[in-house]
Amino acid sequence: MKLELGFIKINDVQFSNECAVKDGILYVNPEDVKAFVYDNDDVKSYIKSINFDIAKPGESVRITPVKDVIEPRVKVEGPGGIFPGVIAKVDTVGSGRTHVLKGAAIVTAGKIVGFQEGIIDMSGEGAKYTPFSKTLNLVMVAEPVEGTKQHDYERAVRFAGLRAATFVGALGKDVEPDEVKSFETYGIMEGAKLFPELPRVGYVHMLQTQGLLHDTYVYGVDAKRIVATLINPTETMDGAILSGNCVSATDKNTTYHHLNNPVVAELFEEHGKSLNYVCNIITNENVYLADKQRGSDWAAKLAKLLDLDAVIISEEGFGNPDADLIMNCTKQEKQGIKTVLITDEYAGCDGKSQSLADSDPLADAVVTAGNANMEVVLPPMDKVIGMLDYVDYCSGGHAGSLRPDGSIEAELQIITGATNEMGFNCMSAR
Amino acid sequence: MKSPHRIRIITNNPLVVTVLSEYYTIEYYEGIGYRDILVKVRDLVYSGYELLTHPLAGSVKPNETMFKSIVVGTDMKAVEIEHCNLMMNAIITCDKFKPRNVTYSDYHIKDFQLIDYTLLCGALDFDAIAGLSKANINSY
Repeated sequence: MKLELGFIKINDVQFSNECAVKDGILYVNPEDVKAFVYDNDDVKSYIKSINFDIAKPGESVRITPVKDVIEPRVKVEGPGGIFPGVIAKVDTVGSGRTHVLKGAAIVTAGKIVGFQEGIIDMSGEGAKYTPFSKTLNLVMVAEPVEGTKQHDYERAVRFAGLRAATFVGALGKDVEPDEVKSFETYGIMEGAKLFPELPRVGYVHMLQTQGLLHDTYVYGVDAKRIVATLINPTETMDGAILSGNCVSATDKNTTYHHLNNPVVAELFEEHGKSLNYVCNIITNENVYLADKQRGSDWAAKLAKLLDLDAVIISEEGFGNPDADLIMNCTKQEKQGIKTVLITDEYAGCDGKSQSLADSDPLADAVVTAGNANMEVVLPPMDKVIGMLDYVDYCSGGHAGSLRPDGSIEAELQIITGATNEMGFNCMSAR
Repeated sequence: MKSPHRIRIITNNPLVVTVLSEYYTIEYYEGIGYRDILVKVRDLVYSGYELLTHPLAGSVKPNETMFKSIVVGTDMKAVEIEHCNLMMNAIITCDKFKPRNVTYSDYHIKDFQLIDYTLLCGALDFDAIAGLSKANINSY
């Protein structure tokens, strides 16, 4: 399967009377975006109001609490549309051509539960730790209709964000990209013939799937309900995997991460040179121990069926998924498939405690994405998009985290994407 | 929905009792903490009761939420070393987190109860939303 990505470099985002991409500037009329977002039954039923704001790198701006970050993209050739099974019809994506508004992002913000978390600082100490301090962010702050239940509201805000990204992404449909890159994986036999000497490498992509605020969707399906399966890496570039995960800000995979998965990017860089990138295996992180066994058994079975020599395994979240990570690792290793794991650590403030809730001697090649317990102090910002009401209550916060001057003393885990376990962050060993 | 036979839920979450006691056997411990539930389940697992759900389910951290529900078997069997290790490591992990000294409002407490309840429902293949409706709980 072959996909071309056309990158349209966005250098600025501005509110305007029109919606367009011209000369690297994204012009957005918030009323037009709002009208498109509200053309959905869930959004109409559960979201009382939506306000848009813009946050740019270097500004004294804090966005919180952040739900999701989404990159605007549009399908210009080939079957299907972006976010299949949710926004577009469920046709298989990942081939043809897709345009990307590179440098722009849609950020959804606003409370869902009383301990809603996630901070993006556009400057200062906190900006070092989140990749979204470097994007031009169109921020959508939503307010629920009174009495809306959390699960209905989460779904409505998820849809609202995806719809906003779809609308903005479509502005790049007829724009000539600044750069076009091609990504292709092959059938099993074809790949083996093309690269007979190269090791066959796959990517075991673990998805957060535990319950309300802890979910991931694949072609619109709640991934709790899947058994491990195969997906072409290019499908993920067209939005086949979406985040419904609103907790563990530091190490959740936002939809932006799924679209820009650095493991996929790096494997494509080496594809046909030092390795043969065969495919991705997606598997879940359920709560029931028998589900964990089934998921890791199936991922191992698929890897063997594909005659893989090695897999990279990335985790999402904390605690419970550590068990899935180690099960995935040991089952692959025991059948002769080498593994490299990507995780983050909860090793205490001083970094001296045991990092994961599970371990095994076979897990001897592990890349850390940082210690989420590390303490940071975030300076006050001139402007807050969203609300600071939740800082003391969310992961990484404590009583008095929010100081009277607006600065925040907390653990790193309060920052969106700080220790992302795909390795899409600023604290990897790269 | 998973069969209610041969499983029991160890919990300190009153929402779990309200909604699920009609369907499942529940051991409810009112007023004890997250870690206390881990210790109770650890002792059961050390005695040979099968551990059925992961003790650290959920990304809400152990020093953040006070509610925990874990599913175990009802029959005493041979002790499973892997499950003993899981429980031991869960308690070690729990102890790494510093106390937050935050006073929660009823609103926060109900949200923490709801998250624990939905994680448990996910494990049991139980329709969390239908369960709330049937129990006439509309304002969580």
